[in-house]
Amino acid sequence: MTSIAMGGVSKYFDAGETVANYRLTLEVVDGEFLVFLGPSGCGKTTALRLIAGLEQPSEGAIYFDNERVDGRSPSSRNVAMVFQNYALYPHMTVAENIGYPLRVRGVPPDERDRKVEAVTTLLHIEDQVEKKPAALSGGQRQRVALARAIIREPSVFLLDEPLSNLDAKLRQEMRIELKRLQNELDITTVYVTHNQEEAMSMADRVVVMNQGTIQQVAPPQELYERPRTAWVARFIGSPPMNLFEGTRQNGSIDFGEAGAVELDSVVRAGETDDPVDTTPPEDGTTASVVTSDVQGEVALGVRPEDLTITTSRPTTGNVIEGRVDTVEPLGEYVLVNVTVNDQLVNAKLADGTVSRDERVYLTFDNDDAYLYDENGELVG
Amino acid sequence: MSLRDQLDAVIADTDRPYGLAVDRDKAIAIAVFLVPGLTLFTIFSVGPIAYSAIGSFYSWDTFTMEHFIGLDNWIRSFTDPLIVNWSNMRELQYPMGALTHNLLWVVLHVPASTFLGLAIALLFADLKGRRILRSMVFAGFTVPPIVIGLVLMFVYDPQAGIFNEFLRVIGQGHLVRNWTQSPQVAIYALIAGGIWVHTGFSMLLYSSALSAIDPSLIESAKVDGAGAWRRFWDIIWPLVKPVTAVVVIMGIIWVMRMFDIVYAAGGAAGGPNHAYSVLGIEVYRAAFRPQIDYGMAMVVALLQLFIVAPLALYIARMR
Repeated sequence: MTSIAMGGVSKYFDAGETVANYRLTLEVVDGEFLVFLGPSGCGKTTALRLIAGLEQPSEGAIYFDNERVDGRSPSSRNVAMVFQNYALYPHMTVAENIGYPLRVRGVPPDERDRKVEAVTTLLHIEDQVEKKPAALSGGQRQRVALARAIIREPSVFLLDEPLSNLDAKLRQEMRIELKRLQNELDITTVYVTHNQEEAMSMADRVVVMNQGTIQQVAPPQELYERPRTAWVARFIGSPPMNLFEGTRQNGSIDFGEAGAVELDSVVRAGETDDPVDTTPPEDGTTASVVTSDVQGEVALGVRPEDLTITTSRPTTGNVIEGRVDTVEPLGEYVLVNVTVNDQLVNAKLADGTVSRDERVYLTFDNDDAYLYDENGELVG
Repeated sequence: MSLRDQLDAVIADTDRPYGLAVDRDKAIAIAVFLVPGLTLFTIFSVGPIAYSAIGSFYSWDTFTMEHFIGLDNWIRSFTDPLIVNWSNMRELQYPMGALTHNLLWVVLHVPASTFLGLAIALLFADLKGRRILRSMVFAGFTVPPIVIGLVLMFVYDPQAGIFNEFLRVIGQGHLVRNWTQSPQVAIYALIAGGIWVHTGFSMLLYSSALSAIDPSLIESAKVDGAGAWRRFWDIIWPLVKPVTAVVVIMGIIWVMRMFDIVYAAGGAAGGPNHAYSVLGIEVYRAAFRPQIDYGMAMVVALLQLFIVAPLALYIARMR
């Protein structure tokens, strides 16, 4: 079993012109299912290739169990990788494909056959072993690629968007199966995806990446409940969190015509509700100090599912005024798009009794609000 | 015709299976489009082949067909030492006959140019400036073979030739000679030139085959633990195999039709005392040089065709 550590790993291409990864520092504990999540081009695949050894870092170090591995070839790291397009060898049968890593390692044919049989049974592709990859469906190819990866019991299992070429139903099935497989085999797994549903449902911890840097590393629930930056807040959730832009003024946040919200109540709520990190910040500052530090432009984040809409102005609590833009009845819930100061925000409601152009009041609990300073960092 | 009749005719028309009428129209259209091509094909390919096949069984007075003589031309051609020289072959002395020389080209030129083409394609695959390098190697193939022959004359020239100069530089001055006019080595000198030219062609085919291989296959093999050599044998080679068939067969066809390089170096005789004559040279000489032997020219040309046609057919029907 293996743990992985990356220390200040950067990767530059085109003689430094392109920065794919910038100072990634990260630890993957033994047996963990870690997911790199981020938009296209954020550097998550490069990070995976650095761990695999298909790319070498421009700076920084990578350790497998306290052993430095950067500079070493992929084969000497004993990693297995599943590629987005599966990368099955087209001229080999399924059995030959799966047995190839063992053949390369000089495993005798009868032992090889035994292992191929075991792994194909595990993945329910035992009937396909004589076929060529071209004769398989997308889901079957996916299973063959997985079988080839797990047959030699690698110390690290790397998956690069393995489900993105499957249809929605199959993707959901494979998601469950992958998770179960990883649990059974207990292999340290690093998984790359741009699909947050995949990330949230499978990961022990999620690494959110943007523009080559790590934005936040957290378990899925924490990522949802406590996005550390405005960028993560805007990225996680479907639809993602609303960020009301306002200015800090004398202990409250001013949203212009849309109203104002008491600053202290929002920040205090965020602090006391913190599910993971309840200790004060390391530099000894307290919440009230942080509060008074907040200057100028701020953003108040509230998830669409935490907003409620009333048509008459409430007398207490946090109120932001807006006008209904569109109403989308989606069956499971109704998505109401509201214009607040020329900014479109979403509210998820159980039913939508409001109509277009109606003046409405958005309310939310203190506990559900997040305050981001002008640098997009979570306050409190 | 009454209205009733016309109406009946229309109804009868619609009763007929509709597809048939369309098929006939289509067939006519196909025929119309095929006629020009087929005419040319008949005049310039099928016609001459049939003419030669028939003519090879007749005696000729220069270009006039005379009377049927059975297998006479065939027997005379195959026993002609210019085509196959059995006694010289036994002693490994050149000339060994045009057919033997052609086969020697096949045996030496084809594997060498195929192997070199693949090696250079692999070498260039990941290099910067590979396009320029590829163009430079391929440039030789774009030059007319007769020019290649003339260039070889310069390269092998005893005084000014770069090859002899190279031998002098590396201290092998005793090997200096007029390579294209030395009967026992000249054919190898020409084959070397042929390899240089044809390597560009096989390199180009292999390069495109290599670039068609999904890079993730190679990466996957790397992760699976395969070293460079295994990656080549297990992944790259099987995937470029179909191209190898094309390269080899095109190579065989190219050398079986060899004429220009040999003609430039050795004229219509195919070198001193026919030392490196090939079938193409023999056809030319029998047909156009006195003593004109049109029957033999036809037999030798057909012999070339028999060797090349099945190979060409195989390539044309691949996949």
